[in-house]
Amino acid sequence: MVLKIGGSLLKNGRDYLDVAQKIRSTLLENDLRPIVVVSASKGITDLLIQIVRGYKVLIKEVENRYMGIAYELGSVKLVRRVEEEVSRLRRIAESIEVSDPALMDYVLSYGERISKIIMVQALEMQGINAFELNATDIIITNSVHGDAIIDYPATAVALEKIYGVIKDRKYVPVVEGFIGRSSEGEITTIGRGGSDYTATTIAALLKLDKVYLVTDVDGIMTTDPDIVSTAKLVNYMSYVEALEASMYGAKGINPKAFDPLEKVYSSKILIGSWRHFGTTISREIPLEYYGPKVVMLKDMADYSYIAIIGEGVSRAEFLRDVLDIIVRLGVEIKGVQSYIHRPSMVLYVDKSQSREILKMLHKALFEEGYTK
Amino acid sequence: MKLVKIVVIGFGNVGRAFAKIVALKKNILEGRYGVSPIIVGVADSRGMAIKGDGFTEYELLKLCEVPRSGVNMFSPYAHDFVDIKYMYDAVQPDIHVELTPSNYIEGEPGLSNILFAFSRGVHVVTANKAPLALKYSDLVDMARKRSLHIKFRSTVMGGTPLIDIITSLRSEDIERIDGILNATTNFILTEMHDKFIEFDEALKRAQVLGVAEANPSLDIEGLDAAAKLVILSHVIGCSVKLDDVKRETLSKVKLRDVVEAIKEGYIIKYIASLDTRKREAWVKVLKIPRGDVFAQINGTLNAVKIKTDVGELFFVGKGGGGIETAHSVLDDVVAIALSVKGDKR
Repeated sequence: MVLKIGGSLLKNGRDYLDVAQKIRSTLLENDLRPIVVVSASKGITDLLIQIVRGYKVLIKEVENRYMGIAYELGSVKLVRRVEEEVSRLRRIAESIEVSDPALMDYVLSYGERISKIIMVQALEMQGINAFELNATDIIITNSVHGDAIIDYPATAVALEKIYGVIKDRKYVPVVEGFIGRSSEGEITTIGRGGSDYTATTIAALLKLDKVYLVTDVDGIMTTDPDIVSTAKLVNYMSYVEALEASMYGAKGINPKAFDPLEKVYSSKILIGSWRHFGTTISREIPLEYYGPKVVMLKDMADYSYIAIIGEGVSRAEFLRDVLDIIVRLGVEIKGVQSYIHRPSMVLYVDKSQSREILKMLHKALFEEGYTK
Repeated sequence: MKLVKIVVIGFGNVGRAFAKIVALKKNILEGRYGVSPIIVGVADSRGMAIKGDGFTEYELLKLCEVPRSGVNMFSPYAHDFVDIKYMYDAVQPDIHVELTPSNYIEGEPGLSNILFAFSRGVHVVTANKAPLALKYSDLVDMARKRSLHIKFRSTVMGGTPLIDIITSLRSEDIERIDGILNATTNFILTEMHDKFIEFDEALKRAQVLGVAEANPSLDIEGLDAAAKLVILSHVIGCSVKLDDVKRETLSKVKLRDVVEAIKEGYIIKYIASLDTRKREAWVKVLKIPRGDVFAQINGTLNAVKIKTDVGELFFVGKGGGGIETAHSVLDDVVAIALSVKGDKR
């Protein structure tokens, strides 16, 4: 399996040790051996983006954060490694021109790289034989800096060479997400939230059945729980549903993450926390699971839209049902959009009423037992 | 299965890449050639790690994770001092891999290390050019007298087996060799031409991207390319001394010169040449017509044109690069293992 650790779980040294301990107790002690993909520590990528935009004083903050974690873990070796990486980062960042996308990717790559070095040390402190795998050795991409696409055949060759050596051993490889290398040898990044894409690519190319995306919530929710307190976990989704949700801005997964699963091998994605992996996303879901899964609100400048996402929701019958609900609620809408080939229905609504409508729709669709 | 015990002296980029590929390719080499390379000792400037029965694949991967000059932190196999004699006594190596940095003043520490290896009857593979550039004949003679191998394929054109090919040209007379032999300076020139930036800025970019070293003078002053010419001159039996190679510095090239050259239909390249008839060698900044093959060699690529009495040969390949160089070193190790009949112990 592939296990991706989100940055929200990696805020300080204690967090890295916690994750390492969880990997040992929930996986290794049950004879499950993961390939671990790590994100940068929470907030670091944002700092690095500011740095490449010219706010070079923020290097100090990145340094403080990562050196702080290294000292917290208390390994001399780790402190020296992180020091080396940070001083290289400083040298690059201080000499870069804002317009140089190759160097910008180089700077961004340090967030994940240092996180990986720390994670390996944390795992070792839990008695786990972990080692560093370099994304630049195994994830081969095109040369589109900032939003590169992974070259699956080239990556498969690089990956299998290494996997062949480790697969029967009790080692835990740790690879940094989000970064890759172009065929010209330059470091690339694969877009925000790209660690998901790294994780699903590795799983698909090695034909591993499961990708765990570990985060601080139990899974994908029916809507934003900050707006609707009665939001529930979505247990099952198909790739197209999750992809549609991410395209309408759902937090959680990078849309590109589904590409290797569609094209190469259909690993299942399980999203959640160590407590509970509440959402399973697979290529197909049985017919009885068709219907609305997620309803989300997005405020634009002059209006808001509410997207209802789920296999079958663009069918006429469902559209009618939703419009019936709207009529019953006595609210007006500014527009409706739906295409039969996409698993979504979008309502354009007045901004002042958007939250109210979201709550009522959520209630009708998910709390009062809507059946198609 | 023939076990080959290797000690690695010098543990920077190439050393780490070497440890990694030994870990990843050991099984393949065992299957294909019946040769099992095991690394029994590693040294850097501050310490050593020694394990008589060879580091496991996992240990080799972990060795690559120690900080710079941090081999002495690789417990429980670490030693806080550097003493190659101590290492040899402990592990009895078959092949010595010399990866210390090149020092063209007196060739140390590489020269002494190689001499020590010979004195103990151990074959040598070196990626360090300086001992060869300064003392080629002495080293090769000494190896021959003791029936030992010294191999150095990685010293010229890193990952491209140029030296092996030149050695195999037995009936041809090589009249002249021209080449782009230094990846760093070619990268700098390519940047200047593509981005219209000044030399200093291109150099800075090369340093940031890890193409150039923090102290790039060996590359920019042409010493690295000159050392490669000297090694090639010895290989083809027309030896030239390092001091006799005429060198021009690349740092004098201005963006203005580049623009001028482009207007006239030329590209500026840093070319190393050896004329075997005149026994002359030089490293020069030259204007090359845009249609010339050398004009197409960009970035960190290297290229060599060999003119023989029969015709011309042209080789293009990646210069430098840790992984590429490490593969050449491992190729040399395997070649020695295959050519040494039986196990001398």
